[in-house]
Amino acid sequence: MKFVFVAVLLMVTVVLAQEPVAKQTGVLRLRVRVKADDSSPQRGLSRKRFFLIPGTLEQNRALIAAIEQQPLTTRDCYYKQHQASAALIGWLKEGDCESVYCRSIERDSVSGAKAVPEFASAFAASQKEYGNDETALRWLTTNIPADMRDGFYRDRQHALEALIKQGNTIQSVMTDRNGTAYFTDLGPGTYVLSNLIPTELGQTLVTWNCEVQVKAGDLATEKPYLVSNRKDKNVKCVGIEKPMPVCATD
Amino acid sequence: MTLIKPFLICFLICVPLRLSAAPDYGKFSHSTQKHKAACNTCHKITFPDIKDYPGHDACVSCHRPQFFRGARPPICSVCHSKTSPRDDVRYTFRNPATKLQFDIEFPHDRHQDVIALLRFSHAPQGYNNCTICHAPRTTTFKAVPKDHNSCFNCHWKSQQPVADNCNGCHKLANAPYVTAEFPSRISAKYMHDGGGEKKQHVGECTSCHINITKAASLRGLKPDVPITACTECHNKDGLRQDLSKELLAIDKNRGFTCVYCHEAKVGSQDPPASHYLIAERPPLKRKDIK
Repeated sequence: MKFVFVAVLLMVTVVLAQEPVAKQTGVLRLRVRVKADDSSPQRGLSRKRFFLIPGTLEQNRALIAAIEQQPLTTRDCYYKQHQASAALIGWLKEGDCESVYCRSIERDSVSGAKAVPEFASAFAASQKEYGNDETALRWLTTNIPADMRDGFYRDRQHALEALIKQGNTIQSVMTDRNGTAYFTDLGPGTYVLSNLIPTELGQTLVTWNCEVQVKAGDLATEKPYLVSNRKDKNVKCVGIEKPMPVCATD
Repeated sequence: MTLIKPFLICFLICVPLRLSAAPDYGKFSHSTQKHKAACNTCHKITFPDIKDYPGHDACVSCHRPQFFRGARPPICSVCHSKTSPRDDVRYTFRNPATKLQFDIEFPHDRHQDVIALLRFSHAPQGYNNCTICHAPRTTTFKAVPKDHNSCFNCHWKSQQPVADNCNGCHKLANAPYVTAEFPSRISAKYMHDGGGEKKQHVGECTSCHINITKAASLRGLKPDVPITACTECHNKDGLRQDLSKELLAIDKNRGFTCVYCHEAKVGSQDPPASHYLIAERPPLKRKDIK
C-alpha cells in the first residue's frame, strides 16, 4: 500500500513538473501614417502588409540586403509589360487595385464607352458558357487570362516567398483603412518590422526595416508604434524613400 | 465461479469487439479506406453548385448486397429521408443533421490581399470586402458561406483550387464533428450593421477582428476583438465613458451586472484586467469589493 502511494506521488510530481508554464506574450500595435508628397496631408496607409522577423537588424543583415537589392516591377509597369489595355490599367489605378478581384466589375465596364476590353471579351465568353448575363457578370473573372487577372499579385507573392525563406518571418498583418494593424501573441524579444516589398507611394517607393522590442505583457491598449515616411518626434520607424523605377516599356 | 470467470471476461471483451466490427451501413464515412478514391469517382461537379448526392452507381458497385437487404435497407438512409422503393426523396445535400467530415482550408490572408478593399463609411463604391462572403445573418452575427456557389464564381476554373480539385479546400478531419450554429459571443449587444447611435458601426471588419489578415487557415481562428476596438469611441475623454461608468457601478455594488455590451451571464463576471487597464485603474475582483 505504501509503495502504491509513493508511486502515485512520484507520477503526480513528474506530470506537474512537465506542465508547461503559461507563456507571456506581447502585442505590437502599428499605426502607419504617410505623406505622398510635401504638399499632401498625412494619412493612414491602408491595406498594406507588414512583416515581423525575429532577431535584430544585424542578425537579419542578409535579408535586408536582399530586400534592398530585389528587382521590382511596379503595378503599372507589370500590366504594360503584359500588354494590358490602357482602360484596364486605368480601372486598376482608379481603385488602387492590384488585381481584378478587388472591386466589383460593373456593367459599364463590359460594354459602352467605359468598357475595358479585357472585361468585355471575358463577359462574352462567360455569356456563352454560363447562359445568362447576371451569372456571366458575377463569374466574369473565370474567363480573364491569369496574367491579367491576378498575375501581378502572384508575382509579388513569389518575391515575398523568396524573401520570407531567408528570414523566418513569424507573422504578417495588413493595415486597416486608418493604417492600424496588430501583431499578437508575440514572444518577448527583438524583431525587425519590414514591408519586405517596397510600397508604391505617389512617385516614390518606400521601404521600412526597423528594429522593435517586444516585452512580455505588452498590450494592444498601449500607445501604438508609429511608422511613417517622414521624421517626427513620435515616429519610431521612418521609411527610406526611392524614386519609382522607370518602366522598360516607357 | 472459477470456471465461469474466464468465460465472463471473454464475453465482456469479445462482444463489444464484435459489435464495433459490424459496419453501420446507415452511416457513410469518407474515412473508410475504400471511400478515399478521387472525389469525382462519386460526386459530379455541377454548375453553379454541387447540390445533390452521388447517384446509385457510386454505391451499388460495392454495396449491392446492402441495397437488397431487408425491407428497409439501412444504407438507403444515408441519402434518402424515406426508405422506400416508391419514394426517392433525399435529404438536402449535405444533410445538416449529420456530422461534418471535412475541414475547410480557407486562407483569409490571401483573400484579404486580393478581395477586401476599403469599405467606406459613405456611399458604397463597389469594392469587394468581407461582406462578399459574410453577409448579415442577424444584427449580431454575420453568416458564413454555405454553398460552393460562393467560391466557384472565382474558383470555377483556372484559379486554383478549381471546382474539381475538392481537396484544395476540403481536408478530411481527424474525426467527424459538429459546429455550433452560433459562435459564442462575449459582447452580444454589439450590432454589426446599423449599430451605434449614428449607425457608425459599419466599419472595416479588420479594424476590430485584428487577427484575420494574418490567418492562413481556419484552424484556431477566433473572432478576436480587442477592447480598444470598442473603447476608442466608447471610453474616450470628452466623448463617452461607457466602460468606466460600469466599472464605477461595480465599485458601488459588486453585484452590478454590466449590460452596455454584455448579456447577464457575461456581465455578471469579474471584468478582465484589460477593461481596468483602459480605465487606467488596477484590476479588481468583485469578491474583494466591500
